[in-house]
Amino acid sequence: MTLRRSERVFKSNGMKLFWAIVILGVLTAGCAAPEKTLSSNDIISTESLANDDFDLLEEELTTELIEISDPLEPLNRVMYHVNDGLYFWVLKPVTEVYTNITPKPAKTGIRNFFGNLTTPVRFVSCHLQGKTTVADVELNRFLINTTAGILGFGDPAKDQHGLEPPAKEDLGQTLATYGLGDGFYIVWPLLGPSTLRDSAGKLGGVFLNPIYYVEPAEIAIGISTTGFINENSFHIGEYENLKSDAIDSYITIREVYIQYRRKQIKE
Amino acid sequence: MKRCLFILLILLAAIQTAGANDKDPNELLLAKWDAVIEDPNDPNELLQAKWDAVTKVLQSEDLDQNVKEKIIDKIISPIFDFSLMGKLALGRTHWPKLTQPQREKFTLLFAKRLKDSYREKISLYTDEKALLKPAIQNKKGVFIPMQLLSVDRKIDILYKLRKVDKCWKVYDVEIQGVSIVLTYRSQFNDILRKGTVEDILSKLEKLPTP
Repeated sequence: MTLRRSERVFKSNGMKLFWAIVILGVLTAGCAAPEKTLSSNDIISTESLANDDFDLLEEELTTELIEISDPLEPLNRVMYHVNDGLYFWVLKPVTEVYTNITPKPAKTGIRNFFGNLTTPVRFVSCHLQGKTTVADVELNRFLINTTAGILGFGDPAKDQHGLEPPAKEDLGQTLATYGLGDGFYIVWPLLGPSTLRDSAGKLGGVFLNPIYYVEPAEIAIGISTTGFINENSFHIGEYENLKSDAIDSYITIREVYIQYRRKQIKE
Repeated sequence: MKRCLFILLILLAAIQTAGANDKDPNELLLAKWDAVIEDPNDPNELLQAKWDAVTKVLQSEDLDQNVKEKIIDKIISPIFDFSLMGKLALGRTHWPKLTQPQREKFTLLFAKRLKDSYREKISLYTDEKALLKPAIQNKKGVFIPMQLLSVDRKIDILYKLRKVDKCWKVYDVEIQGVSIVLTYRSQFNDILRKGTVEDILSKLEKLPTP
């Protein structure tokens, strides 16, 4: 602004004095500008928004807002704290040791193995939701990876045949597509956040998991635990990250679970 | 006389610039890292440029953590509408109940919170390849989906933007379908069920910086 005005004057007069003003203008503009942007970051106007805009955006957000009933909240909060303790005192240290002794390719291989092994529940869920093309992808991936991928440790279906793993379907999502609501929120010991509907789905899923049929039970538990720790090794830091953002971590985890499930159901 | 004045002015200018350089040596550094945006009307380009600038800062090894934070704040602040995010997080039911000083304090604290957590989040994703997808138009603005891809995972992000004074500004971000504004709203609602606005303010104030 200063610059433009002084330029105009300069043209009409052409005097040395105005040269100086121009130079001064350039120099001060040069050092004043960054200062201005800095302070504008800190001063935040609270009235930047007309109220009708606020209404419109509010409307848009509330359509996405999901009310979840939580009649068990006091109990759930206790369970949440138990799980939180287990995570930091047991799961995380164990996972860290596991990560240190297991090379990355082995971890990926084990992850592939368990991913392949749990194909039945996804395949069945796809069919129950009428997603036959996705079900075909799951089946083809299973056939290729079990044989060419050597029991599922490799993923040639993706690497050589371009069959990307589809979004994971489960029975909880299937029940949701049938119109079954969340019911209410439950925090299970060890298993963590769930809802009544998703718990029913999980229970059904157990019978579709081949590991369930392994005898004796100790071995089945051992296999499942390995799968669990291995999968967790890919997610270390995520829970801490969510928690550090939270004002109330119980509410945050509940909200994240519900919103995340909603996205999975929509897909 | 005129000559004297001329010299005086030059001197004045020189002193001023010298003073400015002494005051903040980071300024030049900040300018060097900020995004270059050719078409600010294209929200995709805006986000891409900002993303590239931020990851470049995070990946650079010769910068101090402290300086990095400053630079990133400067890069992202112009594209986030922190005051709107705060309003939406409290929602239509609660926002009008705040007094003017409470609104100001809340907005400042909430903006700081969002900046801190944005920085923390993004530092986890620097190894990922960011893939921006075409914007989805809607009533008031645009939604821009982004995918972060790495060998092990795929993360879906959705930026929600609207135009304020001819500039695109982000008013909400969804990570894996989880809206930041809504996640804060459910926490604020829960606090306000039993407590007051002052409880929110003191809790925001007490939160440790990640």
